[in-house]
Amino acid sequence: MRHFTFVATVISIFILAICTTQVLAQEARFAIPLPLTGTNAKFGEIEKKSYEIAMEEINAAGGIKGRKIALEFEDSQGKPEISRSIAEKLIDVKKQPVIFGEYSSSSSKAIAAVAEERKVPYLVVTGATDDITQQNYKYVFRMNPTNAYYAVGLLSLFKEVVKPKSIAILYESSDFGTSGAEDMAKQSEKFGMKVLVKEQYEKGAVDFRPILSKVKAARPDVIYMVSYVMDAALLMRQIKELRIDANLYAGGAAGFAIPEFIQNAKEASELVMTATLWSPQIKYPGAVEYAEKYKKRHGDYPSYHGAEAYSALFVMKDVLTRAKAWAPDDIRVAMKATSMMTAFGPIKFEDKEGYTNQNFMDTLVMQVIKGKHETIWPQKYASAKYVYPIPKWRERN
Amino acid sequence: MAAQVELFLQTLIAGFLLGGLYALIGLGMALIMGVMRIINLAHGDLMMVAMYLAYWLFTLLGVDPYISVFVVVPLLFLFGCALQKFLITPVMKVESILPHNQVILTVGMAMVLSNLATVFFTGNYRSTPVNYASNAWYLTDYWKNAPIELSLSMPWSLSFLCAFIITVALWFFLTKTDTGKSIRATAQDIDAATLMGVNTNRMRMLTFGIGSALVACAGCLFIPIYYLYPALGKQFTNIGFVITVLGGMGSTEGAIIGGMILGIFESMTATYVGMGWAPLGRFAIFVAALVFVPGGVASLIRRKRLGR
Amino acid sequence: MKKLLLGLLILFLLLLPFLGLSSYIMHVLILVIMWSIIGMAWNVLGGYTGQVSFGHAAFFGVGAYTAGLLYYHLGMSAWWGIPICVVVLTAVSLVVGYICLRLRGAYFALATLALGEVCRVAAENMVWFTQGNLGILIKERTWIGKTWYYYVILLLAAGSYLLIKKVMESKLGYYFVAIREDQDAAESLGIDTTFYKTIALCISGVLTGIAGAFYMNYMGYIDPGIVFSLSDISILTVMVVMVGGVATFGGPTMGALIMVFLAEIVRSTPKIGAAHQTIFGILLILIIIFLPNGVVGDFRKIVKFFKPKRTRA
Repeated sequence: MRHFTFVATVISIFILAICTTQVLAQEARFAIPLPLTGTNAKFGEIEKKSYEIAMEEINAAGGIKGRKIALEFEDSQGKPEISRSIAEKLIDVKKQPVIFGEYSSSSSKAIAAVAEERKVPYLVVTGATDDITQQNYKYVFRMNPTNAYYAVGLLSLFKEVVKPKSIAILYESSDFGTSGAEDMAKQSEKFGMKVLVKEQYEKGAVDFRPILSKVKAARPDVIYMVSYVMDAALLMRQIKELRIDANLYAGGAAGFAIPEFIQNAKEASELVMTATLWSPQIKYPGAVEYAEKYKKRHGDYPSYHGAEAYSALFVMKDVLTRAKAWAPDDIRVAMKATSMMTAFGPIKFEDKEGYTNQNFMDTLVMQVIKGKHETIWPQKYASAKYVYPIPKWRERN
Repeated sequence: MAAQVELFLQTLIAGFLLGGLYALIGLGMALIMGVMRIINLAHGDLMMVAMYLAYWLFTLLGVDPYISVFVVVPLLFLFGCALQKFLITPVMKVESILPHNQVILTVGMAMVLSNLATVFFTGNYRSTPVNYASNAWYLTDYWKNAPIELSLSMPWSLSFLCAFIITVALWFFLTKTDTGKSIRATAQDIDAATLMGVNTNRMRMLTFGIGSALVACAGCLFIPIYYLYPALGKQFTNIGFVITVLGGMGSTEGAIIGGMILGIFESMTATYVGMGWAPLGRFAIFVAALVFVPGGVASLIRRKRLGR
Repeated sequence: MKKLLLGLLILFLLLLPFLGLSSYIMHVLILVIMWSIIGMAWNVLGGYTGQVSFGHAAFFGVGAYTAGLLYYHLGMSAWWGIPICVVVLTAVSLVVGYICLRLRGAYFALATLALGEVCRVAAENMVWFTQGNLGILIKERTWIGKTWYYYVILLLAAGSYLLIKKVMESKLGYYFVAIREDQDAAESLGIDTTFYKTIALCISGVLTGIAGAFYMNYMGYIDPGIVFSLSDISILTVMVVMVGGVATFGGPTMGALIMVFLAEIVRSTPKIGAAHQTIFGILLILIIIFLPNGVVGDFRKIVKFFKPKRTRA
């Protein structure tokens, strides 16, 4: 008899839980999946703050079609399976007609699969791995350039200024790192640059010196690294310590493109270049104002991820204003027809070179000059002149 | 040719310095394991706690991490004692089907510690950018025409030196002082020790405290050369138990040798096999030790000593 | 009475998809059932035979990758993963057993933990084989709705439950428990402990692997960090069984129910969401101290807690 009461209690709690979740599902707002905890929390935070700034500006100008937006953030903890459940929840329970958000490549990939399956449009904001828009998905749109294009600006700098003959590639073992490295390796072959070393490391590695010694022994012209911020800082510090002299140190965006890199690597970061998608000085409309507003509020310039998030909301505003109705298929049609300029750059979704619904834009190169990130290439976007060749470690200070 | 020699020597130096630090981490865990027969899977997280303390001392009060050792280590000692008294001892008394409860308990502790750190301090990476962080001594500065260039990192060497001093101090403590001898007695045979008048509960508490203090020390020495985030405990716990098994459960000399071996092995693997495989190398050596030399290095020493 | 309740429960479970629950809740339920399979599998090795494994992610991940790689390299439907992983996982279990089963107690736990991590790092590095951290993505999953997945996993769970019950009620079951209680005594009574431990390990590994293959089919995307994860799979397995009740039949299911629901509820609550590991950790500690045999195993203790006055003289 006691067993029965126990089982009955459990089942009732169970049913109660179900009902509660159903009730909570009635609101009509936009929920954005982001990694707010976990290893990518930092970038999740930058994007969240940027979405909020954009939301305020849009609401101040009257909202979308007269309706004010409200944003909610769902924490995916940086795990693709949680992003996937969040996407399913948004579509099935909250009946959101469009999804946008997420930071990492693997999470974006997981959500893209769900969106395509459920026929709900999904705007990829930051996820960079190429295969997300190489699947012929009709419902997935990506506004940010893919990994293959991250280094386009950097490569044109190589071609015209640096002219390297060999390269060493170090990358973290994530989706982002792996695809960035593979792309650089492919491009190097096309350029006639010999890939002397290509090594992956696990994020959070303590000691890069063994692998760096190997790089030193190989004497590459360029050392190219695809890392997040702490590994980036540690790599440069250890490169300085080992006095590895290459003609150029270049990063594949991510960790190399944010201010923390300079703060943590200190002198070791000087004159390091990096591919980047955006910079706080760039002349796209609204970019400088957004960067300054973010800095005033949060103490530091935002990374390009922030600019992506900020602009994403403006893209959504444009799409939702043009859409016949706020239903998945109408939104998809409106999104396909997008052609606008944002603080992040021009946005137009095209089907070309094997990609579907992909935005193509120029990528830039920044260099750390006197402790600050300056845009140096292409020259039409430059805020300062590039420094090349760079002095050897021993000759510095 | 010179490049290969340089590569080898530089890797060896890196491995050596890394080994010193590893040894300090393993030492604490070995001590705890020897006396209390507990595998402390929260060991790395205790190190993380120590590192956060050192970080805040640096950021808020400008205290250099090497100096903060004097503050952080005693604090962690007390914390370790408290953990032992309030959490571990109750578990040791509990009757259950599975006797592995203390291991699972330490897993729970690890989860709580690392998550609380995330909640309070956010997942942001922190570091203590001291000015001498990438300074090093270079061979060519002293020997002008050396065929190869070798660099010896200043902070790493300093950490190694401190680790060495502490190990020697610990050895003195364990062999020459009364308390130290009581601890070793408790490790050897707890019942006999109790019969001889040793307060074994107290010794247990002290041991956990000392173990925590040791790993706290490693943390402070480590923060200038690395960085800090709440989840870092896990990889150091892994390193800790690999060393403990390599060295021989409960043996302090074994842990030191085990740490050095692991450091050098990892560096060599990173250079000659590939850096992505280094963590695998760590576990490979662990499993190999478990299977082929279950008593660890300590048993090899013992065998040699006994002339077998 | 018991039979009637059981019958009602089975009917309820079979008709569940028709209650019109949201697909989100169905998703959680499917996870609960999957975790109860994993929990029951672990229980065979851990609860009944006394070999505590901290590396069950190895089996789960191998199962998931078997299904995924069949799809990726050979273009077969990933569902073939389920029958094929029986073979694959038996082989893997034999290897794992050969390395680890000679170790006792905590050493065994550590060795399995290490092997779980070895599998993860290997999967990450063997990019040519597993795609490394790019993961494996199934472009068109078999069904979009949850209903059929629910029935599949329910079938798998029922099958596992019956298999384990059969095994534990046979001589094998007694051998397992004998090994747990005192391995040396069992050995001296003529029980070939290594052989039986290996059988327990194989059963445990195969069932976990099947759950993994299901996961690949259901989620459609896996990568080494997900399926070989120490904290999300291996430790969660231990928690599910410890919380539910080691060495009981209903324990793992109860544990799966509690842990998965708890995980979802905690994660959805905005303020507390970030602290969910803390809550789990504290829960684990409390269970270890007060209810070491889990909710089902120490059921009497819970009952006693709610009715204190009666037992006092």
